Amino acid sequence: MSAIQIKKYRSIANRSLQNVLAYRTSYVIGFLANAVNLLAIYFLWHGIYSGRAEVGGYSWDQMKTYLLVTFLANSVLSWYSETSISGKILDGSVAVDLLKPIDFQTARFSETLGASLLEGGMSAILLILFASFLSGITLPHSLLVYVLFALSLLGAILVKFGVVYLAALLCFWSTGSMGIVWTRIAVTNLLSGALVPLAFFPDWLERLALYLPFQSIIHTPTMIFLQQTGTLESLKLIALQAFWGIALWIAGKGMWNWAVRQVTIHGG
Amino acid sequence: MRVSRMFYLYRRLYVQQLKAILEYNKDFYILMCSAALTQVLGFVFLWVIYDRIPDINGWQFWEVTFMYAMIFVTEGVGSLFFEGTWRMGRLVNMGELDRYLLRPVPVVLQVFCTGIGINGLGNLLIGGVIIWQSLVHGHIHWTLGKITITLLLLLTAVIIRVSINLAANSAAFWIKNAGNAFPLMVHNLADLAKYPLTLFPQAIRVFVSTVLPYAFISFYPATYIFGKSDWSGWWMLAPVAALGSAAAAYGIFRFGLSRYESTGN
Repeated sequence: MSAIQIKKYRSIANRSLQNVLAYRTSYVIGFLANAVNLLAIYFLWHGIYSGRAEVGGYSWDQMKTYLLVTFLANSVLSWYSETSISGKILDGSVAVDLLKPIDFQTARFSETLGASLLEGGMSAILLILFASFLSGITLPHSLLVYVLFALSLLGAILVKFGVVYLAALLCFWSTGSMGIVWTRIAVTNLLSGALVPLAFFPDWLERLALYLPFQSIIHTPTMIFLQQTGTLESLKLIALQAFWGIALWIAGKGMWNWAVRQVTIHGG
Repeated sequence: MRVSRMFYLYRRLYVQQLKAILEYNKDFYILMCSAALTQVLGFVFLWVIYDRIPDINGWQFWEVTFMYAMIFVTEGVGSLFFEGTWRMGRLVNMGELDRYLLRPVPVVLQVFCTGIGINGLGNLLIGGVIIWQSLVHGHIHWTLGKITITLLLLLTAVIIRVSINLAANSAAFWIKNAGNAFPLMVHNLADLAKYPLTLFPQAIRVFVSTVLPYAFISFYPATYIFGKSDWSGWWMLAPVAALGSAAAAYGIFRFGLSRYESTGN
């Protein structure tokens, strides 16, 4: 990709970052809404652990950390990024994008990345504040783990984008996005380990989840952060994220080529 | 206006909406299935946890699934029959409410019928099955009185849910153009009532019993139905909570409406 190309996409990312800033009230309220969710789940687990040292191989301290890391990984690529792609398809503004000399997928990815940086940064700050009130959060001590964790978060964004993009393209075929978005969220939450660590699943379900791309989104970053994997194994998991990211990217390209032939634009 | 006339008008308005949504039948099925799927996965979540431990804080699997499903079922009824509350942001900001003010039909009734959330059907079906299963597995001694009270509690649960939705969405009169963020946050607070109230600190318990009485949708009915003697009697406040939240919601709506200025053209 030439320098001019990169500049184009960087300005797209920049614009989407500003967009999030412009609608900050919505963002903050949305974030608070998710925090309520975290609160409910936190107390549920608290109750589950009362009188028990460990459940499913996780101690209470580890579980607290797991919840926070899950929350961070989930809020890095949020609702905003998600609905902006399907929104473009549904309101027909995708037609304008077809005329532009930019790649639709790369442009959307730049947009997502721009928003993610801000959303992820803000979530991280709020989480650190939140975590300072909780005792017993298990933080890794080696710098290497943090580097690997940061890499795995990037990998998670790539994979999640792949999934979100494929789901959004389905809107070419339906006329609404809510159902598709909900289904996507439900399936991703279960199979990525966002609801419960994959280790809690019955064997067959755990094995199935590990064969699918969703595990890269939550399972991988949490495993690395909780130091449940060694360095070599962490690198392998990150390589697997890269594999899924690329595979989904190619699938997205293929689906886009199919989808643009289905375009019905309303209005003139 | 007489109640029978209200029902008649509601039915007429509702049927018109039904015709409109049946045009897009692909979405119809996707939405219904996705709502059902979301709920089933929540059920799987509880099932996976209870597979490892016998009880949470003294609450058994089917007791928790009951509370969980009550939140979904009442939401389902809300979307299926009162979806319009969720469109108030648009009605107010686009000035579409003007049309409603001109008609000799109660505004709130028209708002209720501004759409049909067919996802509610998915919630209603799956939630209904889970509730039914909870009641079957819950070792309950049924008497005529108990059945009557249970039905009454289901009714108050729906009233409370719809009232909270109406009140939260009335925020559209004050918050201009903020999308659905605020009502969605209020909606998310219902998550706290999906699980036994005993798990939470005192402040949260009081909050979901008084300010936003979600606990009367799930927790208090559960304590009555499953005979949790520590909490006996509290369910009797459910009708009070229902009437109170309905009155408060309608009051907030009327007050907001009095501030409505339409949009200039």
